[in-house]
Amino acid sequence: MLVSWNWLTELVDLQINVNDFAEKLTMAGAEVENLSYTAQKLDGIIIAKVLEMAPHRERKNLQVVTLVWGDERAICVTGAQNVKEGDIVPYAPPGATIADGSVLGIEEFDGVKSFGMMLSADEIGLPLLSQEEGILILPQDAPLGGDAASWLGIKDVVLDVSVTPNRGDLLSMVGMAREAHALFTGSRLKELNFSSTTELSDWPVSFEGVTLEDSGCPLYCLGFAEELEIAPSPIKCRVRLALCGVRPISNVVDVTNYVMLLLGQPLHAFDLDKLPAPEITVRSSRNGEKIATLDGREHILSSDDLLITSGGLPIGLAGVMGGANSEIDENTRRILIESAHFLPARISTTARRLGINSEAAYRYARGVDKAKAPLALSCALDLMKKWKCGKVYTSVIREGDAAPVEKFVPLTAKKLKTYTGAGDLSEASSILIPLGFEVKSCSEEKAIYKVPGYRMDVEIEEDLIEEVARIKGYDELAARLPGRIHDSATIGLESRTERKIRETLMARGYIEILNYSFISPKFIADLSIPASDSRANPFALANPLSMDQSLLRTFLLPGMVNVICDNLRKGWRFPVRIFEIGNIFLREGANLIEEKHIAGAIFLGKDDRSPYGDAVRDDFFTMKGDILALADAFRLKFDVLPGSEPFGHAGQTADVISDGRKIGFMAKIKPSIERRLELPASLYVFEVTFEPFLMAKPPRFGEVHRFPSVYRDISLIVPEDVTVKEIGELIGDLSSDLVTSIRLFDIYKGKNIPEGHRSLSFTLEYRHPDKTLSDEEVDELHTRLRAQIESRGLKLR
Amino acid sequence: MVNPKTNDTEDVKNAFIKELKLAKRSEDLNELRIRYLGRKGIVTQMLKSLGTLPPEDRPAMGKAINDLKSTIEDMLKRRMEELALLEEREQERKDAIDVTQPPKGRPWGGFHPVVEVMHELMDIFVGLGFSVALGPEVEDDFHNFEALNIPPHHPARDMQDTFYLQGNELLLRTHTSPVQVRSMLKYGAPLRIVCPGKVYRRDSDPTHSPMFHQLEGLLIDEDVSISDLKGCMVHFIDKVFGRPLKSRFRASYFPFTEPSLEMDVECIACSGKDPACRICKGTGWLEICGMGMVHPKVLRAGGIDPEVYNGFAWGLGIDRVAMLKYSLSDLRILFFGDIAFLAGGVN
Ligand SMILES: [Zn+2]
Repeated sequence: MLVSWNWLTELVDLQINVNDFAEKLTMAGAEVENLSYTAQKLDGIIIAKVLEMAPHRERKNLQVVTLVWGDERAICVTGAQNVKEGDIVPYAPPGATIADGSVLGIEEFDGVKSFGMMLSADEIGLPLLSQEEGILILPQDAPLGGDAASWLGIKDVVLDVSVTPNRGDLLSMVGMAREAHALFTGSRLKELNFSSTTELSDWPVSFEGVTLEDSGCPLYCLGFAEELEIAPSPIKCRVRLALCGVRPISNVVDVTNYVMLLLGQPLHAFDLDKLPAPEITVRSSRNGEKIATLDGREHILSSDDLLITSGGLPIGLAGVMGGANSEIDENTRRILIESAHFLPARISTTARRLGINSEAAYRYARGVDKAKAPLALSCALDLMKKWKCGKVYTSVIREGDAAPVEKFVPLTAKKLKTYTGAGDLSEASSILIPLGFEVKSCSEEKAIYKVPGYRMDVEIEEDLIEEVARIKGYDELAARLPGRIHDSATIGLESRTERKIRETLMARGYIEILNYSFISPKFIADLSIPASDSRANPFALANPLSMDQSLLRTFLLPGMVNVICDNLRKGWRFPVRIFEIGNIFLREGANLIEEKHIAGAIFLGKDDRSPYGDAVRDDFFTMKGDILALADAFRLKFDVLPGSEPFGHAGQTADVISDGRKIGFMAKIKPSIERRLELPASLYVFEVTFEPFLMAKPPRFGEVHRFPSVYRDISLIVPEDVTVKEIGELIGDLSSDLVTSIRLFDIYKGKNIPEGHRSLSFTLEYRHPDKTLSDEEVDELHTRLRAQIESRGLKLR
Repeated sequence: MVNPKTNDTEDVKNAFIKELKLAKRSEDLNELRIRYLGRKGIVTQMLKSLGTLPPEDRPAMGKAINDLKSTIEDMLKRRMEELALLEEREQERKDAIDVTQPPKGRPWGGFHPVVEVMHELMDIFVGLGFSVALGPEVEDDFHNFEALNIPPHHPARDMQDTFYLQGNELLLRTHTSPVQVRSMLKYGAPLRIVCPGKVYRRDSDPTHSPMFHQLEGLLIDEDVSISDLKGCMVHFIDKVFGRPLKSRFRASYFPFTEPSLEMDVECIACSGKDPACRICKGTGWLEICGMGMVHPKVLRAGGIDPEVYNGFAWGLGIDRVAMLKYSLSDLRILFFGDIAFLAGGVN
């Protein structure tokens, strides 16, 4: 809301400068986001009259203008088309400064000297002021030779105030003035008086009246004027509107806007002669009904929009915007002025659904005091009279219930003291009364206040506490740490687990990433996810910002892959490891399953050169090491077994198994996908669910070994499709109980090994819990093992 | 063969010293040892020839020879140590490397500033007695709005433009307040929790991201004061930025708190001294956190009797704190996964 400081100080007498006011208003809840000093640079602009105009001898598009004020005259050249002899204009003589700060001088246009220039609304610093191109034409009664800036009142400070949704009452100049009055003790609020209206119609038209068919409109007031002459409104009103960000249109429309700015009550004027019938009915719309609004848009309505109709046809979207069919234009002679009360929820629903952000809807949605409706109508009729818009009638139609809603709210000293540390009710009253509250009763312990009608936000005791506290200022209150600890606090298992996972992965060289939870549908094609895969069936946002962010991710992998691709596009070329911990969203029937996942990726780099060569290159097994280290950190046992994923290299994809259940995958990205994504080097990825990590086992230490271990090696030649795990388990099964560990130390293919086979070499640890094993004892055990392995048809080396 | 009669231990000693000086390797020393101290060595022979001396000369001569023997042994030992040192030094010279070569193996990874700050904040508030509570990111209208005193059509819904899911009534939570509601319903009063996590609003520009992170807190007890709220917030600011910062508390509005406040903190970039400061836009203040005393309607929706208990709640943007702490200018870059940027955070 834009607030003119000049206007405000007309309504409340404040002995304070604008900066101090802005500061205090901000601290009390209405944040002043900006102070703009209008036309501050304007200097030396004179009000002058166009005495004569002559065409320029050389240049057809220019005119030579003679200006006059008092005894003085000046000549200037203009290209403006809208000036004529006798017009009064703002004139900047040489030496004067216009709004943008430039100082005028004497300029020559093909032999004709131009002394300064006549100014447009833009040059004077208030572009909104003029609808037409060219010079700003001032009214005939403007004092010639006077200072244009001060006469117009355009040197002002405009405060841009951010009003919170609960304070609809501040969306008006009188509301702001009241708030200012409450904030500054000793200030005085000016009283506004409007002519009283009568209720019986003496309108010289056969108007049949107003019918209210919908409870969304409890009160509807109508005024009438005829013999209108549609013209610009008085210049000072236009200046005021423009300063407050409203474009002046015509006297009738400007009256409605001026009153809305002043009182906060939206008004609307209908051209009576354009109404389909001499009556107005307020009803709810029918589903599919259409209305064309003033802004030139057509809207299709649902069944609960509130409509102003005439003869069954919509003439306005109640509280939101008038209809184009009853719009005021230059030929309008008779009007009806509406000042009505509508329920906030109805207006906000319609405005939001149709996407109309009108000043009226904005105010109605935040609640307008019902008592304002008749008042604003009187104010508007007064102004129209004052501005001589036409023949204005003081009789009005008032349909519905005008009785104000009375609200009483108690305030106890005890609660006030609990919240603010001080429980002084008479001090509270001294704060509340300037805000418009009335003391209904008051004792030491409890006071009851009558809430003013415009404070729809005040309903309970805490609301009154807020009023008292905010006007006093929160900085007055001491800060202290709350006492009374009831239990020890904890970061909790989930956060603790997450912390350990991220710290483990970071220590193993992974960079932490946060991706958006929404992804682009193209991941399905990019990663060749078949339609049958639950990951290819994500939940979609109903109102995404863009297609790229339209689906809820079903796993973290697409984000990981995107990060690599995006960075490659930005020129990244080296090996890198990244990880993310985040939630994914899966569809299970009609239900949504939200699950935390951990994903990682190792990109081998477009440039993987290293002084150490291959020794430091990552591969499937370094990533496997990371996953198993993660498991070890939580004393969990994961298995990595051959598996398959649609995006995984058929020969380098594994399931990650915990407790016999697949909890994720690790894989090298499929060659065809690497090509599709233009990956210049291999990409390894893993993703596992978070939940198994919550099952961390407590640490357990074994006995200290008292007798030394003895080691023996064994090498087997096995077909290539037999896994290390299978052989390891076979050795484990066949060997003596005294074998305490089996460790693979060599894999060999090539010379002396038949095609399609490989040699696997293990070292076995023999240890007896109660004695030192002799070489002979171990040899015997080991020989027996070798024999048993051979008896299974496996070849030893 | 040495004639013990004419032999002078000094001569032998001098001869040994001369030879010792020529020994350059440990093998040379071994050879010397054998020649002097071996079974047939010079000194051994001298000892053996003692018997040929007159008995009255034997003790003096015996002592002289034994002294000679231990002198030679000492010198050999000392020389041996010197040589070993020289040889080691030579070996090390050959094995010398350029320690400024890059390391092998993986560097430390890198943290995301937002997650790092989130954990830091959790620790600060755990220290103040607040336990961490978590909840789902996809929520329903009740937990995200209704229970927080934001009925349908309430203008406050405009403050938080919401992402809805297609085909059902679910939405992406616009704040972590639903976790407060869930915690009240689960644990009742008294209660001290903080709720960190992702939240979503339909907004995207340099200072707004459609996904960001909040840490909300809730304290419910008997006779809670606005002073308690201020105390917690001032404490947290001092801890997170590592020094006491000026702060101010303004009145504000949130549907779920009454009274409602906003906390501003002295601009950490310019301390309010630079009218052209881009961080605070010259105001000298940074909006840091919305807060207030929990609205009785919210307590009731959480199953807590507002006649007995009251409390306070706050909600702060973790991303914003991270941006201030690490001097970042564009919020959205946090979610672009820029490796150079994130790895740069390590240095
Ligand atoms: Zn600053």
